[in-house]
Amino acid sequence: MADLAQADIGHHDEHESTGIDNRKLGMWVFLSSEFLFFGALISNYLLFKGRDFGYTTIFPIELYDIPFTSISSFVLLMSSLTMVLAHDAWSTGDQNRTRTWLLATAMLGMVFIGGQVFEFTEFVLEGMTLTSNPAASAFFFLTGFHGAHVFLGIVMLLSLYGISRRSEGLTEKQGLNLELVGLYWHFVDIIWIVIFTIVYLIP
Amino acid sequence: MATTAAPIKTIFRRPESSTGFWSWITTADHKKIGIMYGYVAFFFFIMGGIEALVLRIQLSVPENTFLTAAEYNAMFTMHGTTMVFLFVMPASAAFFNYLLPLMIGARDVAFPRMNAVSFWIFLFGGIFLYSSFLFGTTGPPEGGYLAEEVSRLGSSANGGWFGYAPNSGAQFSTGTVMDYWALGLQVLGLASLISSINFIVTVFNMRAKGMTFLRMPVFVWMTTVVAFLLLFSLPIIAVALFMITADRQLGTLFFDASAGGDPILWQHLFWLFGHPEVYILILPAMGIVSEVLPTFSRKPLFGYAAVVFAGAAIGFMGFGVWAHHMFSSGVTPITQAAFGLATMAIAIPTGIKIFNWIGTIWGGRVRLNTPMLFSLGFVAMFVIGGLSGVTHAIVPADWQQTDTYYIVAHFHYVLFGGAIFGLFSGLYYWFPKLTGKMYSEALGKIHFWVMFIGFNLAFAPMHWLGLNGMVRRTWVYAEEAGLGPWNMAVTVGAFTIAVSILIFMFNWWWSRRNGPESGMDPWDARTLEWTLPSPTPEYNFGVSPVVTALDDFWEKKYTTDDDGRPVRRENADLIIAELEETGLNPPAPIHLPAPSYYPFIVGVGVFVLAYGIVYNTRPWGIPLLLAGALIVIGSFVGWGVEPLEEIHEEHHEPDHDGNNDGEPAADPTKKAADG
Amino acid sequence: MADQTHAPHPTPRLYVQIAILLAVLTAIEVGLFYLERYVGEIGPSLTVPALIILAIIKFVIVVGWYMHLRYEHRLLTRFFMVGMFAALALYGAVIVALLFTADIL
Repeated sequence: MADLAQADIGHHDEHESTGIDNRKLGMWVFLSSEFLFFGALISNYLLFKGRDFGYTTIFPIELYDIPFTSISSFVLLMSSLTMVLAHDAWSTGDQNRTRTWLLATAMLGMVFIGGQVFEFTEFVLEGMTLTSNPAASAFFFLTGFHGAHVFLGIVMLLSLYGISRRSEGLTEKQGLNLELVGLYWHFVDIIWIVIFTIVYLIP
Repeated sequence: MATTAAPIKTIFRRPESSTGFWSWITTADHKKIGIMYGYVAFFFFIMGGIEALVLRIQLSVPENTFLTAAEYNAMFTMHGTTMVFLFVMPASAAFFNYLLPLMIGARDVAFPRMNAVSFWIFLFGGIFLYSSFLFGTTGPPEGGYLAEEVSRLGSSANGGWFGYAPNSGAQFSTGTVMDYWALGLQVLGLASLISSINFIVTVFNMRAKGMTFLRMPVFVWMTTVVAFLLLFSLPIIAVALFMITADRQLGTLFFDASAGGDPILWQHLFWLFGHPEVYILILPAMGIVSEVLPTFSRKPLFGYAAVVFAGAAIGFMGFGVWAHHMFSSGVTPITQAAFGLATMAIAIPTGIKIFNWIGTIWGGRVRLNTPMLFSLGFVAMFVIGGLSGVTHAIVPADWQQTDTYYIVAHFHYVLFGGAIFGLFSGLYYWFPKLTGKMYSEALGKIHFWVMFIGFNLAFAPMHWLGLNGMVRRTWVYAEEAGLGPWNMAVTVGAFTIAVSILIFMFNWWWSRRNGPESGMDPWDARTLEWTLPSPTPEYNFGVSPVVTALDDFWEKKYTTDDDGRPVRRENADLIIAELEETGLNPPAPIHLPAPSYYPFIVGVGVFVLAYGIVYNTRPWGIPLLLAGALIVIGSFVGWGVEPLEEIHEEHHEPDHDGNNDGEPAADPTKKAADG
Repeated sequence: MADQTHAPHPTPRLYVQIAILLAVLTAIEVGLFYLERYVGEIGPSLTVPALIILAIIKFVIVVGWYMHLRYEHRLLTRFFMVGMFAALALYGAVIVALLFTADIL
């Protein structure tokens, strides 16, 4: 009897046993699985990049334009900055600034994608396609999936931007979504940090 | 008195009802989702079983002509794929879904609509995979690869459940059946990945007050370990499946050895997933057994902490042994030695669990009800399967065993004698909680013994058939080999199993209609789900429980005397009556997650998308692909913006007609009052 | 709905400073790349570890400050690390296993 008297009379069970919001915890759990996803793609590249079968087709490493890719990398890094500024603006209640920084992040993301598209087109024109050799396949797969992740991120950012343009702006609940999209965006950025180093820079 | 909330105007009004056909399509209730998983999984069990029987007819005599080689390949591939991905995994999901919130004292999982989407993606993925029997081709559109036309029976995935490259690649698997396989598995994997995130957050965040990690039932622990295994292994096979699909559809060169690709890479990636996968298959059953044995021995689980940590250790170590599936694939001696050792090591935590289970039964007052019979059967059969498994760990021995029926014997002992026996144990154990009725104990026992005999007759001979040289995955064996008689015995055993399943199905159907009422706690059990009325009310707990100990419910009912024997407390019956009363008549309004159309629509979208990818070279292929993608994206947008309506349950009656639809027996006046 | 009252919450100013640091690190990385390529073999043995270390630093900075992990509940760090180390260990093993089967292919 005593136990039942103490028991929680069930309203919306808001108490989270860890104190971390469900969706936030969910996003971090998801991101930790993404390591396994990108790890496989990176490993593929590492495996194939040095395989010399006496190919007549071009290898990725012969085509890299480091200055160009460095600028792309810089753009993506800066988009992480604008992302975090967007979240900061929201947390201080400045809906206008939030919108601005959100849009900026999306646009920097689009510049990055544009750069990737340009780079891939150049490679294809110089004779390296998805099917030229396993290293090329692995390269396009890795950067392609990364780009797809960026693309999805842009979709989410623009959705948030759209929602933020309503009269009430980004509400409390939407604010959490902003943080979650931010986490996803930063993760995609750190994967690029790894890719840029391992794929492009390491000889 | 189901819903009173006023609808908010959106494009599609958010559904409200908790009864009827549409309530199942739109449900976000973990119990309904669990039930749907269960029935669909069982349907695929029958499919996989029929495939097995067909295989066994072919193999019952040497050099049989019942099946062609092409049909045989399709049958064994689909048998394995079905049993692993469409039966055992979803059946485990059925248990997780139904029981997890109940066992931790929660009202639902962390993300109810995501939970629903997992189910619908699974269902549509299964339908998609099986539709290859209708639409799949084993040769290019302009003409069959094989000399003769392949029948419908042979027109499904035929590269084994493991789809080794380059056999599964574009050069050697022309036609579409392997595309169905790769994409089907991709879709199914997605469903499980989403579930795994859901369960992890649920276990970490939604435990009742006082339920610390070390007070959670072992079943919940095993669910958590499985969720982590899924979380980390599914992305690996996702990449592998993307790669094989790209090799087939786009001409990439990952697995094309002549172009510098690496077929062994496929094996590594597949088994990096595939080995954790088999622990995903067995751990839920181990969790079930860890609940059943204590209840029917009237003793607490021996060494709870050891069982929990052993389970976690098995999960962890399961990631380190994958290349033991590749001992004869040409990996280096160092690799073989390392993985052989690791494989032997994994027997240790497994052994710990076995000894703890035996310790649980030892000295207990054992009742041999059907759930207990199946759990005891699990322990015995799993030990046999585990022993043959340890022999595989000895690398030179494995070179002899691999690709023979000795391996088939091993994994059927652990997966059938282990996992499936465990699942049946759970089905009988929780039948009363699910339906409010008790099953027929006589039929249950007959089911067990017929299945036990049939199972051993079917799989024990495979040990010596294999060691005598009978090769796997081959549709005939030579007359001179002398393997005929034992193969016939195996076939008889397989059909015996089939008979036992018919008995089970009859018992289930009959008892649901005619079984006696079971009451809240028919087994005098230990965990929180037994503090709820049977069948479980839609809102689970009338009042959220507060937990003060492991096996909290048992502690409320029993104390121990000086000899350590349980002594029923004086007020135990009073407590039980109060729990039932609060369960049926919650003192305060309860908020439930509202239903939604969107998870179902996402499932449809994924289904359409998959066909678009398979047929992307046809003129209607890309449009279909885009349509599917748009449906998925659109659904997620709709999902994101739909209002969070909530159903208010103020009064509830027990579900007397046992159809678990949240309403008591049909009452015309009540129906009219419903909006 | 973060009820957490974490102590020093990064300011926009700090975020910008971090961004500048990241840009500088990237510039150093690119510089090393060219140094190794054009000035010759000062030590490819030095370049590769240096690049990896720089990448790790950038990685940790973005995760710790931009993703706020430094200030979050420890559990989130643990989840993150488990995934990362699992990937490193498993794929490390695969690469080692495959690179030592050179005699097969």
